[in-house]
Amino acid sequence: MQFRLEKRLEPSRLMLYATPIAAVLLTMVIGAVIFSLIGYDGIGAVREIFFTPLTNAFKWQDLGVKAAPLIIIGVGLSIAYRANVWNIGAEGQYVMGGLAATWVALSTYGMSGWWILPLMMLAGVIGGAAYAAIPALLKTRLGVNEILTSLMLTYASVQLVYYLVRAPWKDPMGMGFPQTRIFSEAARLPTIIPGTIVHMGVPIAVAVALIAWFVMSRSVFGYQMKVVGAAPHAARYGGFSENKTIWLAMLVSGGLAGMAGMLEVAGPFQRMVPGFPTNYGFTAIIVAFLGRLNPLGVIFAGIVMAITFVGGEVAQTSIGLSSSATGVFQAMMLFFLLAGDILVRYRIKRVAPAAEARA
Amino acid sequence: MTINRRTILKAGAAAAALPLLGSRAFAQGEPLKVGFMLIGTPNDNGWNFGHAQGAKFMKDTLGELVAEPTIVENVPEGPDCERVLRELAQSGHKLIFATSFGYGDYVIKVAQQFPDVKFEHATGYQRSDNVATYNARFHEGRAVCGTIAGHLSKTGKAGYIGSFPIPEVVMGINSFVLAARKINPAFEITPVYISTWNDPAKEADAARAMIDQGIDIIAQHTDGPAALQVAEERGIVGGFGQGADMSAFAPKAQLTSIIDHWGPTYVQSAQAVIDGNWASADRWPGLKEGEVQIGPYNESIPADVVAAAEAVKNGQIDGSFNIFTGPINDHTGAEKVPAGVTLTDAELLSMDWYVEGVNPPA
Repeated sequence: MQFRLEKRLEPSRLMLYATPIAAVLLTMVIGAVIFSLIGYDGIGAVREIFFTPLTNAFKWQDLGVKAAPLIIIGVGLSIAYRANVWNIGAEGQYVMGGLAATWVALSTYGMSGWWILPLMMLAGVIGGAAYAAIPALLKTRLGVNEILTSLMLTYASVQLVYYLVRAPWKDPMGMGFPQTRIFSEAARLPTIIPGTIVHMGVPIAVAVALIAWFVMSRSVFGYQMKVVGAAPHAARYGGFSENKTIWLAMLVSGGLAGMAGMLEVAGPFQRMVPGFPTNYGFTAIIVAFLGRLNPLGVIFAGIVMAITFVGGEVAQTSIGLSSSATGVFQAMMLFFLLAGDILVRYRIKRVAPAAEARA
Repeated sequence: MTINRRTILKAGAAAAALPLLGSRAFAQGEPLKVGFMLIGTPNDNGWNFGHAQGAKFMKDTLGELVAEPTIVENVPEGPDCERVLRELAQSGHKLIFATSFGYGDYVIKVAQQFPDVKFEHATGYQRSDNVATYNARFHEGRAVCGTIAGHLSKTGKAGYIGSFPIPEVVMGINSFVLAARKINPAFEITPVYISTWNDPAKEADAARAMIDQGIDIIAQHTDGPAALQVAEERGIVGGFGQGADMSAFAPKAQLTSIIDHWGPTYVQSAQAVIDGNWASADRWPGLKEGEVQIGPYNESIPADVVAAAEAVKNGQIDGSFNIFTGPINDHTGAEKVPAGVTLTDAELLSMDWYVEGVNPPA
C-alpha cells in the first residue's frame, strides 16, 4: 500500500484550523516519548509543561503577563507576513520601543500626571515603527532583502541598550550596575487586578488582536495586505502599490512591536536593564505562524507559548527537567505545524498497487 | 570528575529515603525544601557548577534533614526570575538561594509576598527581614592570580574579561592589577565588558581580540572556561580558572584557579532555618574561612613563583597581608588610598574606580 500527495483544488479550511491543534497534540505525544526514552519522566514533563500552568490558578497571572507581548508582536507580524513582507527584526523594534518609552520615563522622572503613560506609549510605537522604517526604506529604494536588514538591526539595537544603560542613563544609585533607575510611579503600568501582577498590557493585547482582526477582515487596508501577499500581479493590476504595502506592513508590525516594548519596560521591568531583550520578538514569529497569521488565532497561540514557558519552569522545580526541554517542545511545535501545513494544500491519497503500476 | 544534576538528584533521592527507616525527630516534621536559582547551567564548569556543588554538599552533609535540592537553571535577570522565585516559594521551598547579582530587586519584591520563606541573594546588597546576602572574597584569590601574572607575563599586558562594571568585578580587577604591579611595576590591563555572565562565544571572541593586541595572560570574571580554552589554543602564557578548577579544559593554560566553596555556607543557612534561628545578615567570608580556595598550581610555574603566590595566599589567611592597603593610586596616577590605610568593606562594596595600571574601558 502506498500513499500519494494530491493537490487540493482549494486549500482545506478544516486542515487550516486542525493542523495547529494537531501540532500541539503531536508535540505532547512525541515529547513524552522522547523524554521517556532518554530517562526522564516523559508523561510528567508533558503534564507539568502543558497542563499545570492551566490547572494552577496561581499561574494564570503569569500566563497573561507572558502572553501579552507575544500576542501584540505576533499580531503585527501576522499582518506583515500576510502581505509577504518578512519582518524578522521584531525583537529589535521591541527593544527600540522600550528604549523610546524609557527616554520619556527618564525625562519625566519625578513628575506625575496621567499623560506620562500615553506619551510613553506613543514614543514606544513611534520608536518601533521608525526602526522598522529602515528595512522598509532599504527594501523599497534599493531592493535590499528585509529579512537580512531587519534581523541585523536587532543586534544593533541590543548594543544600543548596553551603551545607554552603561553611560548616559545609568542609575546614579545602582552600585555601578548598568541599568536605569526605577521609573517614577506615573511611568509604571498599573496592575488591573489587585494582588496579582496582571498589568494594563494584558487587556491591551486582547484589544489589539480584536482591532487587528476587524481591520484585516473588514477594511480596504486588510484587503490590500492580503491581496498583495497572495497575488502580487493581481494586486498591481488592481492598483495597489507594492511599495506602499511594504511600508504599511513594516510600520504596523514595527509599531506594534514597539508598543509591546513600552508595555514590558513600563510593566514587569519598570526600568531599562541589559536583560531587556528577552527574545519576545523572535518567539512571536512562532506565535504568528501557530496562530495561522490570523489575529484571533494569535491570541490562542500566544497563550500556548506562554504555557510552555511557564510550564517549563514548573517542570524544572517539580521534576527536575532541564531548562532546554522548553526549547525542545517549542521547536517541535513549530516543526509539526510547518510539516502539517502541507495538508492544507494537499490531501493524502491511498494508492492501490495496481493503479501505481498503470501510472 | 563530573558531577551533574542527575547524580546530585540520585544522591538526594537515596538520602531522602532514609527518614522512612530512621526515628529521628524533626523540628518541622518533614525535610526542609531548599531551592536554588541559577543564571546558567551547572555544567558551565564555573560559577553555576560551584553553586550546584554547594547544593550537593549541603544535601550530603545534612542528609535527611533536607529534601533533594531543587535547582532551576538558565533564569534570566528580569521579570522571568520573579516568576521562578514565586514558583519556588509556592511549591513549599522555605529557603531559596538566588545566585546572580541582577536578581536583587525581584528577590526583595517576592520576599515581601512570602514572609515565612527565607531568601538569600548571592553577591547582592539589598536585605530585608527575610532576605540575607552572601558573597565570597574572590578578590583575595585575584591577588594570588595577579602575583603569578606579574611574575610570568613577558609582555606585561594582561586581558581581563568582565561581565558588568559592578563593584564585585571592579574589585577583582583592581586586586589582580595591584598584586601584579608589586612584581612588575609596568604591568597593565585593559578590561573588556561583555554585558553577560555566560556567553562562551562572546567570551572567546573577547579573548581572541585581546590576544591579537598583545596580551599574554588572561583573566575573566564570567562563568565558564571559554577564555581559558582560547588561551590554550593560542599558546599564550596562560590564564586562571574562575569559580571552579577548569584545568580539564586548559591543562597547559590554566595556571591556577579560584575555587568557590559554597557548601559550608549553604549548610549553615539550612541548619539555621531548620533550627528556627535564621536571621537576615550579610556574610562575606574568604580564603581564611575556606569559602574561596586556590586550586592546584600548574606544573609549568617555577617554584619561586609558586612560593610568592603561596605567601600572598597565606598572608591573607593569617591577616598579615591585605591587597587593598595603601599607598594605592587610581588610574590617573592620583593617590586614592594613603600609605598604611586599608579600604573598609563598605568602600570595597561601592568601588567604582580603577587602580593605576588599568586602562578604563570605554
